[in-house]
Amino acid sequence: MTFESFRSCAVAAGMAGALALSAGSAAAAWKPSGPINLMIAFAAGGGADTQARLIATELEKTKGWKIIPQNVTGKGGAVMARKLKSQPNDGLTIGIAVTETFGYNMLAVKKAGYSADDFTYVTTTAGSQMGIVAKTSRGWKSIQDVIAAAKGGATVKLGAMSAKLADIAYTIEQKYGVKFNTVVFRGGRKVLNAITAGDVDVGWVAGIQAKGVRAGDLVNLMSGETTRLKISPDVPTLGELGIPYDAGAKFLIVAPKGIPADARKGIAGAVASVLTDKSTKAAQFVQRAFGGPQLISGTALEKLISDGIAGSKKLMMATK
Amino acid sequence: MGVLDHVWLGVVTVFTQAPVATVFGLPISIVVLMVVLGFLGGIVVGATPGLGGPFAMAISLPILITIFGFNPDALLPVLGFLIGIMKGATVGGAVPAILFNTPGTPDSLMTTLDGFPMTRKGEAGKALRIAHFSSASGDTFSDLVLFTCAPFLAITVEVYLDFPEKAALIVLSLAFISAVVGDSVWKGILAALFGMFVAFIGTGEDHHPRLSLGTDALAGGLPLISVVLGVLILGEVFAALEDMWREKRATDSISTPPATGDNRLRLRDIRRILPFVGMSAGIGTMVGALPGIGSTLAATLGYATGRRLHKGDVPFGEGAPQGVAATEAANSAVAGANLIPVLSLGIPGNVAAVFIILATETISGFNPGPAVFRLTPDQINSEMVVAFGLFTAMVFANLLNWTVGGVFMRSMGIMVRIPKQRLLPIVLLLTLTAIYAQRPEMLSIYVTLFFGLVGYLMRRLRFSVLPFVIAFILANNLEDAVRQAFSATGADPWFLFSSPISIGFMALAVLVVVFFARGRGGQ
Repeated sequence: MTFESFRSCAVAAGMAGALALSAGSAAAAWKPSGPINLMIAFAAGGGADTQARLIATELEKTKGWKIIPQNVTGKGGAVMARKLKSQPNDGLTIGIAVTETFGYNMLAVKKAGYSADDFTYVTTTAGSQMGIVAKTSRGWKSIQDVIAAAKGGATVKLGAMSAKLADIAYTIEQKYGVKFNTVVFRGGRKVLNAITAGDVDVGWVAGIQAKGVRAGDLVNLMSGETTRLKISPDVPTLGELGIPYDAGAKFLIVAPKGIPADARKGIAGAVASVLTDKSTKAAQFVQRAFGGPQLISGTALEKLISDGIAGSKKLMMATK
Repeated sequence: MGVLDHVWLGVVTVFTQAPVATVFGLPISIVVLMVVLGFLGGIVVGATPGLGGPFAMAISLPILITIFGFNPDALLPVLGFLIGIMKGATVGGAVPAILFNTPGTPDSLMTTLDGFPMTRKGEAGKALRIAHFSSASGDTFSDLVLFTCAPFLAITVEVYLDFPEKAALIVLSLAFISAVVGDSVWKGILAALFGMFVAFIGTGEDHHPRLSLGTDALAGGLPLISVVLGVLILGEVFAALEDMWREKRATDSISTPPATGDNRLRLRDIRRILPFVGMSAGIGTMVGALPGIGSTLAATLGYATGRRLHKGDVPFGEGAPQGVAATEAANSAVAGANLIPVLSLGIPGNVAAVFIILATETISGFNPGPAVFRLTPDQINSEMVVAFGLFTAMVFANLLNWTVGGVFMRSMGIMVRIPKQRLLPIVLLLTLTAIYAQRPEMLSIYVTLFFGLVGYLMRRLRFSVLPFVIAFILANNLEDAVRQAFSATGADPWFLFSSPISIGFMALAVLVVVFFARGRGGQ
């Protein structure tokens, strides 16, 4: 069902309920019984927060839902997750975080205060285009060149924005018998700045490198995703290099465990319709900032989460 | 894209962003409107005894963020308003000092020494005009220094400073602020360490929320604005309320002698005060560029230097226009120059700069620091556009100051009649409302009240609050810089002493502390 036909259904529902019911789907049938609280696990003003707020505004506009966004930040989404898990599971409280919140970040602490089973996963919205990036002027074409330089005795400083990425960089070091000086920054923007300023030689960047890569100033040396990068299809993925981890992350909407199935479907469908309609501000922003929507829901999303947990556990064992 | 493209984009943004009204066919952009409102509001606030620029900036920041949001579009309107307040309050502070012998802001204390005697001689109008002329001159000079120095300094820092040097530079700044502010170096250092401790709650790289006592309230870190406003504003309000309760000061009836003397500002007056204005503008700018030394010291230095320089018929302290000029030029010249360390290093030097940093930390899209002035071929550095937009807003505020500032300022004598016992509860209410509006949780109010108490106690124990606030803001930058320097040097434990520059910074930090500790040993 396209967004347009969905909207005409909704309009019809307003005018003649019976007619709409026969034409409607499960997505159209669920309507929140009150305002929806949206807990945003990101700091106000950033790209992730903007995405969440735009989706909320668009849902209000097209679906007539009332959404109250609130930033609940801290510890890679853990603060939000702890708060969300004890909320009523009626579909009126949802959260937006990254997959890492229910993977690496959760496993990295002794007592996270929540587990992956405390939630129902609704849908992903967009994902990273994670790569290891360098300035073009360094002359490196792929990660192999960096490894060769490190083997030749050069000190390679590598920027990362999370412990997980630092760990994955460490597995690269182990595999190839080299040493990077891994420097952790708060956020990909700072890593990119450090690369541009020459403070670090290479660094993990989750998608904002696209502009510089297109302009020819920056180059992706490797894809951290399970697939090759959209903008640099010639460079290998981690998996192709024999490193079995997924450095990528996806934004996802979650709810407390056991929300009604129709609410789960209804919210996922509504978000999908907003993000696939290219005329919405939310869709345009996601296109610009994250290279387009990535919508995974239902059992596929559950598999994504459990795969992420398994991968993170393996990574932690390997870097212990 | 070259520097000039960025300058032009900055100028265009200031004058065209989101026009709100049209005057004589000219669209008035939101930034222009906010600068005007901020400037006029700043004069009113500055002219009110007991209020000052920092008060107004503190209260308006959360309100502005509630109105404009967190997106980069909000940067210039919000910063423009804050800059306007900063400039307006500097000018306005002279009004009650001259007319009623009551300084509107602490840095106008020296203005009373000659300003009020001039009023008694029936030359209030002339004193106000001289104060305005000197203030506007000092301010403009300081801004010009800022525009030329900040990008240059930022680029130098970018080229010469690596991770260890940046960490050492923050250590040096904190040492300097702790040593210079307040009456004891060790109290200053204690206050700074306490500020860092508070900043370390719930933050850090590790996934475990440190120092949070297992509570989710602390796990995300303390809300920045609540802590800063609590210590700076509520602490001051509590202390002032107590003072009032103790003193129950007799309220004198306020009257101004009639204007009988020559009240025009004549060319020969300007010629007479110009050397003093120039001297004080230089002093104020230098003082402003150093973190931690505020406009009050600049005013004192300016006045003292002026007194030594002065050979006229009316001695300083008996109504010499030069005295007013020397003070006002010096305290106004601080305003622009104290943005030099903010924009080039991300290090705030005084309370006004703290609020500029707070605004940029809360609104995304502008991180003061060396990256602001970086040129990338074929790309627009949006942060540089914001920086030049900010400069444009400052120039515009200066133009306002030169044109309508004087007239508006001279009409502000009435503000002195607002009684303190009415003013303080209003400030208290406004602060709490503003904080709640920006972050609607009771937690933010509790945190504010708690740190209000902390600020009150610090004042009563004669601890300076500025090192606390600045260390609180810089602590996480310091931690990042230290961690990054440590890992970038391949886990070298002596990274702070790994290069001549960082050794120099560290040695200077120790020297500053030792020097000021010895200098005040007898106190």
